[in-house]
Amino acid sequence: MSEGGITRKQAVIVGGAGLVAGSAAVAGVAIRLRPGKPALVSSELTARFRDAELPGDDPGSNDWRHADPIIVPLQPQQVAQPFLQEATIHELVARALHNGKELGLLLEWGDADKDDLDGIGVFHDAVAVQLPARAGTTPPITMGGPGAPVHVLQWRATWQRDLAGKTGVDQIYPRVVHDVMPDDILSAADALAYWPARAVGNPVSITARTTAVEEIVAEGFGTVTHLAKQRARGGATHDGGRWKVAIAVPLQRPEAGDPLLPDTQWPIAFAVWQGADDNRGARKHIAGWLTLGLEGTA
Amino acid sequence: MAKVRNWQLGRAMDYPYDAPRPKKQFCMVMDTNKCIACQSCTIACKSTWTWGKGQEYMLWNNIETKPFGFYPTGWDVNVLDLLGQQGWDGDTYTGTTVFEAAPVGEKVLGWKPDEADWNHPNLGEDEPTGTAGETTYIPDTPHANMWMYYLQRICNHCTYPACVAACPRQAIYKRPEDGIVLVDQTRCRGYQECLTACPYKKTMFNLETRVSEKCIGCYPKLEQGLQTQCTTSCIGKLRLTNYVSTPENADPRKPADFLIHIRKLALPLYPQLGLEPNVYYIPPVHVPPEYLEQMFGPGVPGAIETYQNAKDDPELLGLLMLFGATERVISTFDVADGVARGYDDAGQEIVAVPLKEPTFVRPLEFATELKGEPVTGFRHNT
Repeated sequence: MSEGGITRKQAVIVGGAGLVAGSAAVAGVAIRLRPGKPALVSSELTARFRDAELPGDDPGSNDWRHADPIIVPLQPQQVAQPFLQEATIHELVARALHNGKELGLLLEWGDADKDDLDGIGVFHDAVAVQLPARAGTTPPITMGGPGAPVHVLQWRATWQRDLAGKTGVDQIYPRVVHDVMPDDILSAADALAYWPARAVGNPVSITARTTAVEEIVAEGFGTVTHLAKQRARGGATHDGGRWKVAIAVPLQRPEAGDPLLPDTQWPIAFAVWQGADDNRGARKHIAGWLTLGLEGTA
Repeated sequence: MAKVRNWQLGRAMDYPYDAPRPKKQFCMVMDTNKCIACQSCTIACKSTWTWGKGQEYMLWNNIETKPFGFYPTGWDVNVLDLLGQQGWDGDTYTGTTVFEAAPVGEKVLGWKPDEADWNHPNLGEDEPTGTAGETTYIPDTPHANMWMYYLQRICNHCTYPACVAACPRQAIYKRPEDGIVLVDQTRCRGYQECLTACPYKKTMFNLETRVSEKCIGCYPKLEQGLQTQCTTSCIGKLRLTNYVSTPENADPRKPADFLIHIRKLALPLYPQLGLEPNVYYIPPVHVPPEYLEQMFGPGVPGAIETYQNAKDDPELLGLLMLFGATERVISTFDVADGVARGYDDAGQEIVAVPLKEPTFVRPLEFATELKGEPVTGFRHNT
């Protein structure tokens, strides 16, 4: 961590239980991110109550100063094949707020490369938040398990770029020359047949997006199911070799599971993908279950 | 890991899943000796299936010159290098497969092609090499030792596909009705694990839809009893779309079974990798056998001998003449009275080809050129 404005502070460990073993060189340090409280390595993330609109798609908002940052150690996913053979980042900084209607998260990590265009053997940066679907459960960390579903919010750099309408072949190869493409000569409906995954509604393939965050439920690796009703929103910046991603999701989440009520605690986990290091799918950096505490509204 | 029987290896092998065989197994037989690399098959495939935006570089079917042609670059030599030197004991493979050699944390031993590896579909085209020794047909010429040949490539619709094994979402599946391997376009999330795992590099990433796609064995045609686009467009008539049984169930009336199991003329591509691929090749007769055995396994010498003696084997000769003779899938065939006949599933005759075409000798008096008159026509020697 050598980015501007971030300095390591004295060793402080808050609530070490539940921290992921094997995370490299991060235990017991604090970093200062911006005016506000220093980030501490912790397994407890508090979502401060704030009676205001949440900056759910604005990672640069000053409102995030009201949240207490924590450092979340990351390790390579090596539970299910295929493994991430080697970790290339070791920590994530997380903040949380809620306003009684939405849960907002600000997630930051160092990444020298901005990878937001998928290509042949080229992968994107991404971050995900995992919550149990049902109150009072701690599903397997491996994206839940049979009968123990999880609710996942995944932000992808690719989808962020989609929002600006700048994806696809013309962006990957700016000097590409096409002869005649189906969409040049056919109606939109007929041309869709030449993008099969888009034609069948695969959410990965749809570039006309309204949000850079996808809500899914899963009961184990390989069981990702896209929620029919997508309510999460998000936004991101990549400056100075650092991603800052804001995500917000309604506390009421009928399609995913039980509501995230104020004054309750939930397990929460994170995953980060570094596109430049060929991270994708199960090849990711993960954090074990932490505790998310939503402050009461009183 | 499950134990599965791979007849091409002559032994059981480890595979990540217990993979039951399909009811029927799609296959293709290629006679490499007849190919001129005109790429009619490539264009037929491209113009049928992959002319959408995002599919520009995709060639589900391609023809490459061996030994220097590859698409993507180095697809076969890279995986052979990863696997290291392996061996056969007769018809039994004593080495390890890409599944058995998988590193910790991986389902398959594979490699990820770079974007640049897909830039050169015609790499090495028509480039010969000079180690043919005495196998050349043209001895005592300056180029007597030179050889090259064309390899026709589609997805092998393997019995034990590496793409299926590697997909973390089970988004790739093998159809139980005909063994065709498909990517479920609703499930794929674009992780490209299949691109790394498939040693034949026949899954490809769509740059617009951001998921994998691959050869679909022209299943909409197959479901109507028709052979694939690459087969029916082949001007060399070197392809046969068919179904193959396991050796113990081989039926000599069925074309692929006859060629693969009875005559043992058509051989799998890199069987040692362990996928039990289902495109079978009649090996080129002019290429050093050591090279061919690496590519097609230990059956090469026998296959070449059989092919060179085909003129004395009317049944085989007749079947080879049914290649490219009909768009319909030939279920069974026979050769009798100098005529090869193909039949559909119901036993109805769908094609008949004489082993020898009747010839007509034009009387000399019709040879206008001999009379000093303008030439009005000539007999095409077909």
